[in-house]
Amino acid sequence: MTYIPPSQRGLTPQHAGRFPGFDTLEQVKYWDHATAGVVLERLAVATQLAFFTAAEVAVARPLLDLLLGQDGEPRVPVLELIDTRLARGETDGWHYDDLPEDGDAWRQTLAWLEEDAQTRHFRGFSHLVAAEQAELVQQVQDLSKSGDKWHGWNATHVWSLWTRYACTAFYSHPWAWNEMGFGGPAYPRGYLNIGVNAREKWEVPDHGEGAAR
Amino acid sequence: MRITHRRPLDYGDVRARNESAWLLPNDGSRTNHGLRRDMRHYAEGDEVDLVVVGAGAGGAVLTQRLARQGWKIVCLDAGPFWDPDQDWVSDERGAHVLYWTEPRSIGGSDPVPLGSNNSGRGVGGSMVHFAGYAPRLHPSDFSVFTDDSVGADWPISYDDLRPFYEAIEEELPVAGEVWPWGDPHRYPHSPHPVSGNGEIFLRGATKLGLRAAVGPVAIPNGRFGNRNHCIYRGFCLQGCKVNAKASPLITHIPDALAHGAEVRADSHVSRVLVDERSNSVTGVSYFKNGVEHRQRAKAVVVSGYSIETPRLLLLSGNSSHPDGLGNDHDKLGRYLMVQGAPQTAGRFAEEVRMYKAPPPEVSTEEFYETDPSKPYKRGWSIQNVSPLPITWAEHVAAQGHWGPALRERMRDYVHWATLGALCEFLPRAENRVTLADETDRHGLPVAHFAYSQGDNDRKLVEAARKSMEDLLHAAGAEEVMTIERYAHLVGGARMAARAEEGVVDTEHRVFGVNNLYIDDGSVFPTQGSANPALTIMALSARLATLLPEHAK
Repeated sequence: MTYIPPSQRGLTPQHAGRFPGFDTLEQVKYWDHATAGVVLERLAVATQLAFFTAAEVAVARPLLDLLLGQDGEPRVPVLELIDTRLARGETDGWHYDDLPEDGDAWRQTLAWLEEDAQTRHFRGFSHLVAAEQAELVQQVQDLSKSGDKWHGWNATHVWSLWTRYACTAFYSHPWAWNEMGFGGPAYPRGYLNIGVNAREKWEVPDHGEGAAR
Repeated sequence: MRITHRRPLDYGDVRARNESAWLLPNDGSRTNHGLRRDMRHYAEGDEVDLVVVGAGAGGAVLTQRLARQGWKIVCLDAGPFWDPDQDWVSDERGAHVLYWTEPRSIGGSDPVPLGSNNSGRGVGGSMVHFAGYAPRLHPSDFSVFTDDSVGADWPISYDDLRPFYEAIEEELPVAGEVWPWGDPHRYPHSPHPVSGNGEIFLRGATKLGLRAAVGPVAIPNGRFGNRNHCIYRGFCLQGCKVNAKASPLITHIPDALAHGAEVRADSHVSRVLVDERSNSVTGVSYFKNGVEHRQRAKAVVVSGYSIETPRLLLLSGNSSHPDGLGNDHDKLGRYLMVQGAPQTAGRFAEEVRMYKAPPPEVSTEEFYETDPSKPYKRGWSIQNVSPLPITWAEHVAAQGHWGPALRERMRDYVHWATLGALCEFLPRAENRVTLADETDRHGLPVAHFAYSQGDNDRKLVEAARKSMEDLLHAAGAEEVMTIERYAHLVGGARMAARAEEGVVDTEHRVFGVNNLYIDDGSVFPTQGSANPALTIMALSARLATLLPEHAK
């Protein structure tokens, strides 16, 4: 079996979750190499950013922490995963015609968030407390819900850009799968027990208030 | 109900006309490397009988059929010649390479996301990442304008396609229950077992007295050549590493290679070449490894799907056709359609774990036809869908959740079942592809796709959402949530009886240019509420019987 240090077993972001002890990574030995390669790469800590500038990181890191509720360690390295993607120019294959391509759209929206912080609080975004940052982020979502513009851009399209990249990065990470009870890759093993309330022997039932909610 | 008799699937008969499934290896690997290594290669100066642009549902079937008849064919594809073992992963994020991710811009009042949603690249096309549903159109789909005064009529009828539907259903092959809707029919393979998601659908349908059926799914249920049995791993949309789910990469390309076709991958066609004096095509130019090449051909078939096909013909204009080939009447790129595809999920106290088993499971076409008592025309179908975590996050985020609320909702994943509707949106002239100012890596203008819904479309989405909520509530859902989205692309170069109304004639010939054809989903005048893959393949199989007549 692949070695997992005791402190890393069954890890979830911020130790949150409802599936105690469940660890997708204990299944690595049952995955094909091509799949294991792309998934395990997400565990390697990026040592150097290639896309975001230092000033952009100061805004992007707290923004992404807020969007995904990552208020402590261990954190899924969302900023690093997005940085890699933007550096490679790996888009979703489209962009809204009223926004530039994704990389430029990220740079511009981070600059405007910083501008909002300066205008409202006379401090940089990174120097605000989380509640103040959240208020500025909430304002963009509010504009998106009312179909309004933010700094002249369609706020719905900006919100879509941020949440799409953030969620794609976060929910590609095995720790996020542990948190939600998802088994991850399933080749060549597949599933034997399908159906309502059916589980594989290595899956863990929901221990949350789930069933009673 | 009268069900057409269907004889049991005769493997010898299928193998005699398409040996693809038997040409795959049976040693646990998924690619016949020998067949690719020994593939015939044509020189650029050779004038081949046919160049096919795009090795997807349309281009691959045509290539296979005509290679069998001895045609010299080069099939060019912009993307890779996939090897499922090496190139595909059992992972949602890692499947990004399967999508067309060259730049494109989207607009209109209801912009339609492309990429993972509906656009493939590489040999096998979008079917590499399609869910696997393979329903037929209904006979009524071919006379929508006559019957309901909306949309358009097809200049061909259901009966023209029926024998080709039957042939392709055997070659994929399709598994499902007896199909009671449209032209009632049986499938060559019996239905697959259902997972929790399908159970919920059937439970709700039984409660409501609504007819539902398992299938139709392009995944063999049993042995079929050297294709392996489905392992119910749930990653159909990420490319089937098992060789269970059908795509042209395994259902038609192997047989095409065995009969002398050349599939030239990583070759992005930039222009269809036309001799202006004779107004006939002479071949194509294409980029491979940064170098521009040409391939001479007596005829060219464009099978690039609803965005790239119009784009290529717009890029191929000349002094006789300054606005693009097939665009003398300003119809090219227009009437592009997507299906309204709201997805409604229901929360159950039990664990559903919808990520298990292929996403395509149960369908109902009870709402497919026009109901005269309703304030809208045409209808929708309902099918199971099973979003994996990243896509599921889109559902949750679409409800407005972010931060801790998003995370908490996501942790509830195993309790949710999901249904998706396919609403028949009507064709509109203003929904179209044009060339944008932006260029791709080859310096070619990229496609801009404008899309706006009409009133009938909005009413259908609303009614479809309600029908899915009812189904889930009947099944015992404690709570439901809906995300509005779109599925599939068809139209953009529609088939019509006259040049003034469309881009190709009833035999796929582009109006106004000799020996130029279109063979893909872009020729659909309307779309019904069916997933388009099977119909694209059936049209292509039909075209393969017409081209030899034209060549005489």
